[in-house]
Amino acid sequence: MTNTADTKANALSMHNISKAFPGVQALDSASLAVAPQEIHGLVGENGAGKSTIIKVLAGIYQADRGSVWVDGAPLDQITPETVHERGVRFIHQELSLVPHFSVAESVFMAQEKRGMLGLDTRKMRRLSEAFLAETLGAEIDGRTLIRDLTVAQRKLVQIARALIDGQARLVVFDEPTAVLGATDINTLFGNIRRLRDTGISIVYVSHYLSEITEICDRVTVFRNGEDVGTIDLGGATAPPGPAPSDTDSAWSAANGAPRQGEIIKLMVGREITDMYPDRKPEAGETVLEVSGLSDGSRFSDVNFSVRTGEILGLTGIIGSGREALVDTIYGIRRTRRGSLTIDGAPVKLRSPAQAVRSGLVLVPRDRRNDGLVLDMSVGDNVNMATLDKVSSKLGWLMRAQARRQSDEFAEQLDVRPRRSATIVRFLSGGNQQKVVLARWLATESKVFVLDQPTTGVDVGARSEIYALIAQLATGGAGVIVSSNDLTEILGICDRVLVMVRGRIVAERPTSGLALDELVALTTSSAAATADQGAAIYGPEHRGGLEVGA
Amino acid sequence: MSRRAPALALLSRYGFLAVFLGFFIFFATRSDAFLNTSNLVNILEGNAILLVAALGMTLVVASGGIDLSIGIAIDFGGWLAIVAMMDHDVAWPLAIVVGIAVGASVGVFNSFLVVWLGVSPFLATLGTFFIGGSIQQIYTSGGGQVPFREMPEGYQKLATGDTLGIPNEIIVGAIALMLFYVFLERSIHGKRIHAIGLQRSAASVAGINVRGYLWVAFIVASATASVGGIIATAGLRQFTPLAGFSYLLDAIAAVFIGASMHPQQRPNVPGTLVGVLFLGMVSNGLNLMGLDFNFRDALEGLILVGAIALAVSQRRVLGRSGASA
Amino acid sequence: MTTTVSARTPAGAAARRVLHFTISRGPLVVFAVLLIYLSLESEFFLEWRNIKSILRQSAPDAILASGLAVVVMAGGDDVVVGGIDISIPAAATLGVGLIADQLVGNTPLLWAYLLGAVAIFGVGAANAFLVVYVKLTPLLATLATLVASVGLYRWAIDNRRITVLGNGFVNEVRDGDFLGIPIPALIMLGTLVVVGGIAHRTRFGIRMQAVGGNRSAAEIAGLRPGRYLAASFILASFCGAVASIVLISRGSGLSPGIEERLLVDMVLATFVGAAFSPRRVVTVPGAVAGAILVKALGNGFQLIQVDLFKIGMIKGVLILVVVASSALVGKLRQ
Repeated sequence: MTNTADTKANALSMHNISKAFPGVQALDSASLAVAPQEIHGLVGENGAGKSTIIKVLAGIYQADRGSVWVDGAPLDQITPETVHERGVRFIHQELSLVPHFSVAESVFMAQEKRGMLGLDTRKMRRLSEAFLAETLGAEIDGRTLIRDLTVAQRKLVQIARALIDGQARLVVFDEPTAVLGATDINTLFGNIRRLRDTGISIVYVSHYLSEITEICDRVTVFRNGEDVGTIDLGGATAPPGPAPSDTDSAWSAANGAPRQGEIIKLMVGREITDMYPDRKPEAGETVLEVSGLSDGSRFSDVNFSVRTGEILGLTGIIGSGREALVDTIYGIRRTRRGSLTIDGAPVKLRSPAQAVRSGLVLVPRDRRNDGLVLDMSVGDNVNMATLDKVSSKLGWLMRAQARRQSDEFAEQLDVRPRRSATIVRFLSGGNQQKVVLARWLATESKVFVLDQPTTGVDVGARSEIYALIAQLATGGAGVIVSSNDLTEILGICDRVLVMVRGRIVAERPTSGLALDELVALTTSSAAATADQGAAIYGPEHRGGLEVGA
Repeated sequence: MSRRAPALALLSRYGFLAVFLGFFIFFATRSDAFLNTSNLVNILEGNAILLVAALGMTLVVASGGIDLSIGIAIDFGGWLAIVAMMDHDVAWPLAIVVGIAVGASVGVFNSFLVVWLGVSPFLATLGTFFIGGSIQQIYTSGGGQVPFREMPEGYQKLATGDTLGIPNEIIVGAIALMLFYVFLERSIHGKRIHAIGLQRSAASVAGINVRGYLWVAFIVASATASVGGIIATAGLRQFTPLAGFSYLLDAIAAVFIGASMHPQQRPNVPGTLVGVLFLGMVSNGLNLMGLDFNFRDALEGLILVGAIALAVSQRRVLGRSGASA
Repeated sequence: MTTTVSARTPAGAAARRVLHFTISRGPLVVFAVLLIYLSLESEFFLEWRNIKSILRQSAPDAILASGLAVVVMAGGDDVVVGGIDISIPAAATLGVGLIADQLVGNTPLLWAYLLGAVAIFGVGAANAFLVVYVKLTPLLATLATLVASVGLYRWAIDNRRITVLGNGFVNEVRDGDFLGIPIPALIMLGTLVVVGGIAHRTRFGIRMQAVGGNRSAAEIAGLRPGRYLAASFILASFCGAVASIVLISRGSGLSPGIEERLLVDMVLATFVGAAFSPRRVVTVPGAVAGAILVKALGNGFQLIQVDLFKIGMIKGVLILVVVASSALVGKLRQ
């Protein structure tokens, strides 16, 4: 039993919460205590239970055991309504706005203002505009539809919705920066600190340890459904006041590093020493040559080449055109100008199907939507691109052969569980990524493009993915790793291309390249691009040590 | 899917089959005629057209769409085959080809709307449905029947003849069933179509020619449905405009009944067959029980509601309820 | 080398905006041109007498479409897995059949209509049960209740035409005017005010739209999606019940089989109506406007002697114009 005095004093106390799902003990007597007026971080690998405990607090899941105290008083029944009544608010990661609702309707969703005749739309509009302007410093017309807002503006609308009634005591931010650019993050952090200073407690859930060490006062680490430790970050926290400059904040992988090491140790229960494989780059012939490539809007005049046995890094912040470039090379987006040759032969890529046929394959950044058919089996997903190899000329599927092929590659990559009939949805992030890789290994392609290859992959599984990437290159393929994680780029790549505002502005060998130099390259004139960057959708990630997702 | 409790998994998967068997036994005890070979053959024969139409629907639903215009393809197939023979003296085998080709053109139009313009399949095929119905009315003076008394015997035999003692309708249905089973469940093309239906963007990134397969799905579905129309005209020696509509709802119901039996709730060929047979059996069984024609219709509807609800709800209770969590 | 990037140059952006505007307003422009053309071709088209008849004819479709619009708003606009209720016309027809049968048997007016309404609400409740508790997709659930309703009314009335003659109320609803406006049009207006008001102007309505627009968001916000879904089916059966009052008068009884035509016209009106909403989504006023427009065009083409059978073609093209335009706008927005 925890100290009752603390429970009384804390803004939030969750005691010995347990929650089991069929086959999984998601939470095993986990506790979380948040002091008043504190920004409290919550980290853990995938499946550590942090999103489960948040959902218990939100009343979405019912805990099997345990108690919850808010502001020193116990919550007997936890439902979305009772939690809301006690002033607990949630800024969810995504998916919590209706695209065709207006800003005013969204801010007041489920807490509408009623007038004489039904809804008082005018009042809601006025209040939401005023709140956004005065509290969050954003001028947004209350009639604008959500689907016409930038990602950063949508986040502000979510925050406004949590705070508009003035009753908020504790606000939970769940991965709030996942889609934001560097300047937007600074604005957000400013807002979060201001909230704390008005007496509100904050729970900040994130995978970005650099963010945790920057903004949080304390952090609680979860592992295997338990809380394994709380670290006081007091010293590392930037004092409230003027926001630090871009370079310092969003890319502060270096400055909080010792504390991040401490957190990682708690998260994985062991020390990760050599995440990246040792390799001796042996670059051979040029296998992919891109010249003068433009897509007409996001990037222009891109030139580079990749040689066999080489791992080429490609990096750039949101809005740099990096994602658009990757998509265009793979034929998802249209090329306007420029050419592409594979093994010296010019190829026209208008669809992914043509790219695959030409020997160029992509491990997409959005694995769950684009990488895998989640409701199909491991075997089907591995064989997806090479079905012709396991069928007769007319297309009759030879099941035994198909099974042998998928087993062979799944085994080679150590996909677990080792059962080809398992539905991919139930695999962990790391194993899902291995399934995507296994599929492309089976194609014997010449060029592998990996976009954010370790997003959503646990720290432990990451080193395995890196080893596989190295193996691809050793096997004679040309490899492109596109990533925002600069330590990853430096760790795994031989050479790196830096994109800024739709152009490649630098090309460097990675050996001897320092992290802060690379940071400086990617953020040259970052401020100028940030606004436009915010308008670009899609999960993008930044540098710093990012663990899990 | 987990391996624990295989008995429960089995029951959940075959729950609808239990409902099916229950009705089968019930009808067998209620009517002596029900189990007669000739009656069972009747059920198969009478539902060949529905089966063919439902197979086409299965393909489209598997690819992630729906086709409300299969009735139009049914009508056009039979109609144009008759017109070719009547007005242009086309030999009957060639007339069949004409009918199927015209039916397929309905699918081409749908594909154009769905794949090319990006319209949702439900609304696109609803538009096709209106336009196709209107064309029939215009050229048949508002829906007058088109009789064809001097129908070539070969053509007529499609519906009325036997081969080796098996009614030709059943043979056509069986061939279509085999072809669809091989194509959708056992060939790599079927795998790809299921992948597209489940998660289109992932299928595309995996190098599957998504647009190509969607074209194929709509065109093959319409062409197949038109075979049903050809059989219908052969059996009646006439074309009845807008008759195809009556197969639409049954075809959709058969596909969804079939899907409810699949572990991942996917439309599938064996399931569709069970769905068609269930609909056919219930209607035949109620008929044999000597119930009033209109009462039978009402009961059929209620049985459909109950059977689907039962099949789906027992799945939910027995199956992994948190599978999507 | 300076590459001109079309979307970023002012001229390119302007051209894009013009294109976007043209395509998104395309259906409205097409409708307007057609209406102007019809009124020029036929003087009678815009005469009050003709407008009255258009309103009278479109009332049942408009009322049913209002109900469908509510279900689509609560269930999401993906018709295959989202909200749809194809059983409303069949349920209304079931109601009409029962009412007509009772009226012929000299049951008091109120009891007859009450019985009809109970049956229609029964179908709505079955839909709600199947969708919310059994968790069937709405398309399948309402397909099943559609088949059942059709079967039930055919059985209840022996699948025969029932003619209700000489009933004052029925005739009044069919032919009567109030303040110069046809009574069916007033009923339509009343439905629009009540159902549209609930769906668009109340807390309940806006929460229902939130459920349809983003179910998980609504759930997280503490709303219970099931309740709103169930309520939408009940509201839809309310529309069905109102429609049955108009339908029995329009047909002076029941002609079996009317549900098929009503079904396609209801779906058509609802989705064409999306073109009238500023946000290009399905709304109740949009559905009513869609129903009136479709009937007006049909009426106009009939006036200028266009073959009656071609009107189905016109409807088909209309729906394709609307949905193709919204599909293209979606593509442009990316």
